[in-house]
Formats: sequence, C-alpha cells, structure tokens
Amino acid sequence: MIAVTPGLTLIILLAGIVAGAFGATLGLGGGIFLVPFLNLVLGLPITVAAAISLTTVIATSSSVSAARAGQRLINLRLGMSLEVATAAGSLAGGITAQLLSEDTIRRLFAVMMAIIAILMLRTLNQRVTIAGTAVDPGLLGGQFDDPQSGGVVTYRVKRFPLALLASFVAGNVSSLLGLGGGVIKVPVLNAWCGIPLRAAAATSAFMIGVTATAGAIIYYGNGQLVPALAAAAVLGVQAGSWLGLRIGERASNKALKLVMATVMIVVAVIMAVRGRA
Amino acid sequence: MIGHVAQDAKLERIIRRILQIGVATSSVFLAIGLAWSFASPAATVGSLLMTIGLMILMATPVTRVAASVVEYAVERDWLFVALTSLVLLEIIAGVIAALVFHRRL
Repeated sequence: MIAVTPGLTLIILLAGIVAGAFGATLGLGGGIFLVPFLNLVLGLPITVAAAISLTTVIATSSSVSAARAGQRLINLRLGMSLEVATAAGSLAGGITAQLLSEDTIRRLFAVMMAIIAILMLRTLNQRVTIAGTAVDPGLLGGQFDDPQSGGVVTYRVKRFPLALLASFVAGNVSSLLGLGGGVIKVPVLNAWCGIPLRAAAATSAFMIGVTATAGAIIYYGNGQLVPALAAAAVLGVQAGSWLGLRIGERASNKALKLVMATVMIVVAVIMAVRGRA
Repeated sequence: MIGHVAQDAKLERIIRRILQIGVATSSVFLAIGLAWSFASPAATVGSLLMTIGLMILMATPVTRVAASVVEYAVERDWLFVALTSLVLLEIIAGVIAALVFHRRL
C-alpha cells in the first residue's frame, strides 16, 4: 500500500507541471517523463506510475482535441475506425501489465524511451512539408486548410491494414507503459498511409483519449489507480501543457530536442539496468 | 463527399462540447478534492471528490464514443454505427474484465 502524504502529492503536482510543459513543447505527451520520475525517483510500482500517467493522457487528449475540433484537422472517420484497434490493443496491454514483472515492464519502457529519443534526433531538422494534391479523399480520407501553403490539402488513406496494425501496437504500448502511443502511430500514418503530419498528429491525439481510458479502467479496477496522486498529476500536467504551449513558441526547439533526447537516453539506460532494490 | 464533411462538422461540434465539459468538470472536482485533502487529510470528502473527478475524466472519451454512435445512427451511416459500437463494447469489456479479475462483481 502506498502512503499518500501531502508532500508526495505536492511533488507529483510539480512533476506533472514540468512533464506537461516539456511534453507540450516537444509534441510528446507528458507520460514519457512522468512515468520514469514516479518509478525511479519516487519509487512507485511501475503499474501505479502507468495508471497515474494514463489519467493525464486522457486529460491531455481531451483538452487538445477540444481545442482543435472544428479546424478539420482531426479526421473523425479515420480516428474512429482505428480506435477499434487501439482500444483492443489497450485492453490487451492492460491485462498483460498485470502478468509481467516490474523489471520486464521497466525494460520495455527503457526500450520505448530510447526509440522515441532516436526518432526525435532523426527529425531534428525536419520541416513539415505537405503535398497539395487534388485527390478524391475516399471513405476515410480528409481535407483541411493549410495556413503554410494557403490552400486546402486533400488526402487519401493508403494501406489501411497497416494503420490498423500500428494502432493496435500503439494501444498495447499505451496501456502497458502509461503513454499515449502517438509516437508509434503518427510516423506510420504519415510515412506509409499518406496522411499529412498535422492531420496524423491531430487524429492520433484524438484517439488517445479512448485508448488511455480502456487501459486506465483496468488499472482502476485492479486498485492500482491512487486517486490523490492521479488528481495531482492530472492538474499538474494540464497546467504544464498550458505553460509549455506558451513558452514553447519562444524556446529553440532544436536545442531543446537535443538536450531532451540525451536525457531520455540516459534515463532509458538507468531504467534498463536497474533491478528492483 | 460534401455530405460527409457537413455531417462530420456537426459531430465535431458535439464532440468538442463533450470534451470541454468533461475536462472542465473533472478538473474542478480534482482541484477541490485535492485542496480539501491538503486542508484535512483525515477526511474522506477530498478523496471522494477526487474519485468522482477521475470517473468523469474516464467517462469523457467514452461519452464522445457513445455520442458518435447516436449521431451516426441518426445519419443512417451503419458502417460507422458498427465501428463506434465496437469501440464502446471493447471499453465495456475492459470494465467487465477489471471487475471480474478482482471479484468486485
């Protein structure tokens, strides 16, 4: 049983603010920073850390999507189709989390964190390029106004089964590790399924709320969601994302990505080698 | 395609409202609950409020899926009624799994 003290709650509130701010600035969720902190620094079991993180993921997804809805960036039909796969993956992940050992989950987290860090380094100089084509969007495609090119971007979804597979894996990772899973879906949707990056990111963020809920419910049912700690984390991350979106405009994204990727690789190594004391 | 876009614009407005209300209400419950638990850690009121806040938070995405089922049914778009219903069933399966595993039923 975890002793919930006002001190611990306060630390988690502050950690949430920091994680949310970095997450929003880098376009990642706060979970990738929050889970290692809760587990390594505060010594909470990884399942408890993941459960807390998932509640923050639901809150972030909901508020981000509420703000974006109406800009046509979120592809509702695609999102709702792929949610069938993310929710299934999330259920499987939540159940798997109950069966795997603390060390195994922590190592999986370390691997995931290293992958995210490497992806971040690879996209260091990336520019968002959108091919403005006039295609029939088909059943699942979409269109949105692109302020950068000043035109309307129309796209068609390619390789739908691959998108479903990536969504299932993302759902799995999400509930097992307490992350959103966008880092898996977005590159696949963008690189292989023909979905422009902004639409892929918005649609992924929209789906994440349902994905995280499917996982959080299992942790909640198993008594692994500590209300006071989750409340502190949710409020912290909400405040942090708000701050991050305002500060992020001014901060140098490239330098920040470089620093954070380095930190993440170091943390990943610590997580991988550290056994349960 | 025009039909699709118009339908989705309406659903998008409904979803936006659900998400806004869900996040705002849950944040209020969580904030008051947390403040209450700081003020009097022994009282169960704070803990109860925070639990309600988390319930509302988790119910928010579920509600928008349920609203999508209804909206697609109104539009007679049966493929999407089926897909969104499936998502809803998966979430319900999660609730049942969690309850059954821990004999809370």
